[in-house]
Amino acid sequence: MEETARYFDGETGLRLDADLSLDTAAQVLTLCHPALPQGVQHWPLNALRALTDQARTDQLVMTLKAGHSYDSGLIDTARLTVSDAQMIRDITRLCPDLKRRDVAPGTARRVVTRLGLAVGALAMMIFVILPAMAGTMALIIPIEREVAWGKSIVRQMERILGGTEAGALICSSPEGDAALQKLTDRLIQPTGVEYDLNILVMNHEMVNAFAAPGGQIVLVRGLIEAAETPDAVGAVLAHEIAHVENRDSTRGALRAAGSAGLLGMVLGDFAGGTVAVAMAEWVLSSSYTREAEAKADLYALTMLDNAGVTTTGFADFFDSLADIESIMPDLPVYMSSHPETAERADAARSFAASQGQTKPLLTDAEFKALQEICD
Amino acid sequence: MSSAITGQYHGKAGPLFSLYFKTAFLTLITLGFYRFWAKTRIRKYIWSATSGDGDSFEYTGTGLEKLLGFLFAIVVLAIYLGIVQMALFFFGLNLFTEPRNEIEALAQVGAIYITLLAVLPLLLFATYRARRYKTARTRWRGLRFGMDNGAWGYVWRALGHWFLTAITLGILLPRQTFWLEKYMTDRMWYGDAKFEQTGRWQSLYPGLKHVLFAVLLIGIGGAGGIFLESPFIAISSAFVGYIWLIVGGVYYRIYTFNVLTRARVLDGAVTFDSGARTGRVIAIVLTGIAAIIGATIVAVLVMGLVLMAALGLNFGSAASLFGGTSGPGDINPAGGILGGVLIAVLYVVLILGLGGLSLVMITQRIIGHVVSSVVVANAPHLEQVRQRAADQGADAEGFADALDIGGAI
Repeated sequence: MEETARYFDGETGLRLDADLSLDTAAQVLTLCHPALPQGVQHWPLNALRALTDQARTDQLVMTLKAGHSYDSGLIDTARLTVSDAQMIRDITRLCPDLKRRDVAPGTARRVVTRLGLAVGALAMMIFVILPAMAGTMALIIPIEREVAWGKSIVRQMERILGGTEAGALICSSPEGDAALQKLTDRLIQPTGVEYDLNILVMNHEMVNAFAAPGGQIVLVRGLIEAAETPDAVGAVLAHEIAHVENRDSTRGALRAAGSAGLLGMVLGDFAGGTVAVAMAEWVLSSSYTREAEAKADLYALTMLDNAGVTTTGFADFFDSLADIESIMPDLPVYMSSHPETAERADAARSFAASQGQTKPLLTDAEFKALQEICD
Repeated sequence: MSSAITGQYHGKAGPLFSLYFKTAFLTLITLGFYRFWAKTRIRKYIWSATSGDGDSFEYTGTGLEKLLGFLFAIVVLAIYLGIVQMALFFFGLNLFTEPRNEIEALAQVGAIYITLLAVLPLLLFATYRARRYKTARTRWRGLRFGMDNGAWGYVWRALGHWFLTAITLGILLPRQTFWLEKYMTDRMWYGDAKFEQTGRWQSLYPGLKHVLFAVLLIGIGGAGGIFLESPFIAISSAFVGYIWLIVGGVYYRIYTFNVLTRARVLDGAVTFDSGARTGRVIAIVLTGIAAIIGATIVAVLVMGLVLMAALGLNFGSAASLFGGTSGPGDINPAGGILGGVLIAVLYVVLILGLGGLSLVMITQRIIGHVVSSVVVANAPHLEQVRQRAADQGADAEGFADALDIGGAI
């Protein structure tokens, strides 16, 4: 078996057409050319490595395994290109490690170190720096911008819930609107609210309510239907108003936007098309800190008390939600993102015990109109 | 050895398409992590398909080092973007609380530009680093190419040139093209031989003739349309002018590539010639787009048939139920699910396939045309070139990966 092959020594650009012979007894590939040192080179068959993902099938480019990474892989700088079909077949047959890719020792440690640093930096950004920035930003963002932003998030949310065009899922009926307006007015007038609230009802079976930035509050039909008294709806609404007033929703949405941008970079989507969707999804599954929830609860109880409404509705509602969840476990339920329900129901109940004279938020007829606002 | 070497391209559509499809699928199921290896393998193919005087080029980069570079870039970018964003928010405080409306609007525009400007130097930095990495991982005849470190010099030069081009409404574009290309070429090496970009930037002006014509067409057509009160003239001249502008842009790129290549010298002795043709490139792009559209239509039709077959299955089971010949147990809801799964699979296949078609029908054919239009003169001098030291390239092209720049390959 003797053929010529193009040889480059990796030091000069000089091409040598070396004579090639396979010595199966010594397990070497022998290169002969007068210009080689001593005229001959022996390449051990088990050290032969072929270049991968090559376009040309009529040639085989080979090199030797090296102990050091000169470029990237553990391969030598010399190159040997074989064009003879029979020789290529023989070499492929005799060299089991031809396609093997050798990895330098210590690579795993380097990968783990870099991975750790990258994850650490991202975690630092997402859990420390972004929340801090979002906290500051939420206080200084002008209200008009906040409102415009909140509206766009509500539209995104509608799309996620299955509304094909803007406003398609928004419920409205003259009596229902009037009832909602009365309920809202009775709640907020005694306490006073900084934001111009925009409260919508969305036509979806989910038992949920959301607060988006800038006073945008969404009550979902499933929640209004599940409530047994207008006071229960009022309690949930008061809780969401608390998130708006404390700017929890603004803070959370800002943080979600920043995190989505960073994660988009990691996943190779720098254009940021995912950011808007991520924010809406975040609002849908909004999870505030425990302190924010406790503060919102307290605010809601005070607001109900100021309005002369019993807070037992709050407690009852949490109880009834627990029932719904046990019947329909796969339904996303309000309380699933608001943990320690029993504890909070108890707090509301003991608060109710200290209340004076109370009056329901709506008459039965008005509550019925509100529950049928989507029909 | 012949005294002149003409570039040759041996790449074929089938193998590259299947390589792309395979690696894109792996990228998909690894949530994007395989993309470093995917890009590396595509490059290995394209580099190895390129040859001069029968000797193939070689791409020696690895997916692993790209991943490591990307992780490094992520750390730097997270910190940099964090600091910049915080600074912006801080200044935003003062800008946004201005009471008057028009000032507020201006401030918003300003903030957007500041955000863009904060990322722009990084994009330019990444552009240079990516080219340096690709150059350092390219070999021919066993000798490495290489590029000197100079990314920050490139950043501020590019910013200056862009600014000049912008304020002169594009009149100084050839100056920008020439000097930025010269900055990079003058830092490039093949082994121990240095490249040099000679020539004058004014010689690129003829390349702008089609752009100029398109602008004149749009301008005169628009003015004429208004003067003659004919919306038809205005709209049709704008339409034709727009198409012409795109073609003119391609013409400018090809023209400058040819002119700059002819004015390139290696080691003071080896010269180059290039005869790439705009018409050929545009024909490649148009046939490529036609192939992509055709494939999309076929795929959508197939999906429709699958959907109909799946629904038909359901109608069939419902009909047999109403016929009373069989019990309710014969209803096969799996048909609908199966149809849905098939559609989803076909959709993924279509998306991956279109990416592959674009690579094979457009990118690879343009590369093939450009490679075979380049001629190296005084080639025997190349035998005197010696190897250069390896460039470790700490961040590979991690910044380009993190900022998602760098195009098809």
